[in-house]
Amino acid sequence: MTRTRTATSKPSKRTLIIGSLSILSIALALVLASKITGPRASRTQTPAATLAVNSGNLPGPIATPPNPIPDKLPIFSLADLAGKPTLVSTWAGKSLVLNFWATWCAPCRQEMPLLAVLHQDWAQRNVQVIGIAYDEPEAVKSYAKKYKIPYPVLVGEQDALDVMASLGVQTPAFPFTVFTDNRGEVVALFMGELHRVQADLILAEVALLNTVTTVKAGNLQLNAARKAIAAGLDRKHSS
Amino acid sequence: MNLHRPPLFRTIVPPCAIALALAFALSVSTAHAKPWWIQGNPAHSNDFLAPDVAFRASADADSSLLHLHWVIADGYYLYQHKIVVKGESPGLEVAELTFPKGRVLTDPNFGRQVVYFQQLEASAPYTRNDYGAHPLQIKVTYQGCAVAGLCYPPITKVLFPATSPPLSAPASQTWEAIAIIGGGLGFLLAGFRLRKGRKLATPAAT
Repeated sequence: MTRTRTATSKPSKRTLIIGSLSILSIALALVLASKITGPRASRTQTPAATLAVNSGNLPGPIATPPNPIPDKLPIFSLADLAGKPTLVSTWAGKSLVLNFWATWCAPCRQEMPLLAVLHQDWAQRNVQVIGIAYDEPEAVKSYAKKYKIPYPVLVGEQDALDVMASLGVQTPAFPFTVFTDNRGEVVALFMGELHRVQADLILAEVALLNTVTTVKAGNLQLNAARKAIAAGLDRKHSS
Repeated sequence: MNLHRPPLFRTIVPPCAIALALAFALSVSTAHAKPWWIQGNPAHSNDFLAPDVAFRASADADSSLLHLHWVIADGYYLYQHKIVVKGESPGLEVAELTFPKGRVLTDPNFGRQVVYFQQLEASAPYTRNDYGAHPLQIKVTYQGCAVAGLCYPPITKVLFPATSPPLSAPASQTWEAIAIIGGGLGFLLAGFRLRKGRKLATPAAT
């Protein structure tokens, strides 16, 4: 009797051990299953994530920091509407308004009448407006003819973008307008559609700079003019 | 997740989240409304969005259609007629795109132009004769502007449309799990059999 009792009690202990072992094995199996399916699920997702980076889907920086902006307008040459290479130094000694535009750019076309007016109104004060089209020469030629653009127009593709890059623009966008004084100093860079108040404010500073004679005073004045323009545009915008 | 959190947390978090979202939306909408002048005031150099932030393109595909998506920032728009898609991977042919109804802008020079604000979903049927040997690869060109008066040159992107995963994949994973659990159960049953055998064997030993 005692033997059978011990015999029956012994298997009950064993049952416990076997039972707990099997429970452990099930738990292990579940853990393994999750480990097997887990990485696989993420493995199928990884390519999508890397592709998202490739396709530029992830939000990037708001705007790339601009390249250093030169104090002097870099000398460049672009083709005119007849296809003749034209150096920007052709207009040396004049204050320049370089307007980068394209025929497919609606705000560029919208500001063209203003540029034509500036060209006319500021001509006596030695200000020269020049259009620089980032476009196909034929499209520009027919557009200039149709709308009778009164100021000279240069045309370029990558070479026009290179000029923009030399002025500090990393990500090209249009319209983009550069204002220089009569010494070729870059007074203001303006991204986006230009309006009369803004143009007048900048050109007034340019006219002021043109009265400065010594180089040293000119440099000081240039920084002051840039600051005044920035502050003035800011005021015009917030008001 | 939120349900398990204490009620105080639950009452505070949503208004905070809404306030934060509102503040963010306001800062974004005022930030890009102005033109950008680089010189003299660096604080304003971020006023226009970088083109890849203004227009975020993505693509996926089912068995017959290619789906292109654009998330367009507030105050920016894309031109319908400037959107072009081309198959890049071997044997991939992409047919003409179908666009949803957009907004019509009347341009004095180009006439009526369909544009999209906020978002755009376009699709095109495709055929491939590589028996799925290559991942789908397409080239998409699109062009857009900011309402504040700025246009970006055409943007060209190579995209790899994610194809929806085949149905057999999750099924096989389920079967794997079943097999593993079944194995565990088998081990449990074997344990019981073993115990039964011992029980029978002990009286015979006496």
